[in-house]
Amino acid sequence: MTVPRFDELIHSPTRLAIVALLAASEWADFSYIRDTVELSDSALSKQLTTLEQAGYAEIRKGFIGKRPRTSARLTAQGRAAFEQHVAALQQIVVRSGATILPAG
Amino acid sequence: MSDEVSPAEAAQALADIQLRQQQVIDLAMIPAWYWWAVGALMVVLAIGVDSHSPVVIGLTVSVFVLGILAATGWVVGRAFRHAQIRNGLIDGRGVVAILGFVALIVAGTIGLAFWLRAAGAGHPATLACVAGGLVMGAGGPVLMRRLRAIMLGNRTGAAL
Repeated sequence: MTVPRFDELIHSPTRLAIVALLAASEWADFSYIRDTVELSDSALSKQLTTLEQAGYAEIRKGFIGKRPRTSARLTAQGRAAFEQHVAALQQIVVRSGATILPAG
Repeated sequence: MSDEVSPAEAAQALADIQLRQQQVIDLAMIPAWYWWAVGALMVVLAIGVDSHSPVVIGLTVSVFVLGILAATGWVVGRAFRHAQIRNGLIDGRGVVAILGFVALIVAGTIGLAFWLRAAGAGHPATLACVAGGLVMGAGGPVLMRRLRAIMLGNRTGAAL
């Protein structure tokens, strides 16, 4: 049972989109996150650094051949915080008596 | 802070979360052409088996191996360049669906080939693989839809 806990760091729309992407992934490539969330390289770097400093994300840098490759993943702490944040959002919706149907 | 978030805002945030997770799940779906390609390659391999000619067998095995490597490499490479789906999204139902599909193709194709040979039909392996390939091509997308539904149901926040 996930304890609802609203997380201001995650709730920022841009970070929410990034964390939601990462929540469905084992890891995601930097360019994939950048293109999907429609951010510049620098803006995404800044957001990922914020998440990393909070202990929510892990950033891996490496090379494939000579090409640099950066990927990111949620840490266990980040995944738990995300699940608690989602539970908090659901609680707000449920308390209002409204419902939301999952997309797809 | 949560007191300042209206139910409408929360609902919108949840919808955004679902959408983002769905984007990753959709990326993991293997395209329909892959299943038809594998089905066709099965037929190519079977033509070699039925020919009983070492040269034809060598040629068809080469086409099969290179074709599988190319098609699978494309699918795996695409995932590698983007994102790897979280393992926890596919639960036991997904594993059963995958294993059931593989078992259906393998057992059905081999069983049909032996039955055709016992019945004296010509080119039993080819005929059986045509049937197996058709099931592969038609069934692959069905399997993907089933896995997609399972993964969407296992998204964080899917149930409310």
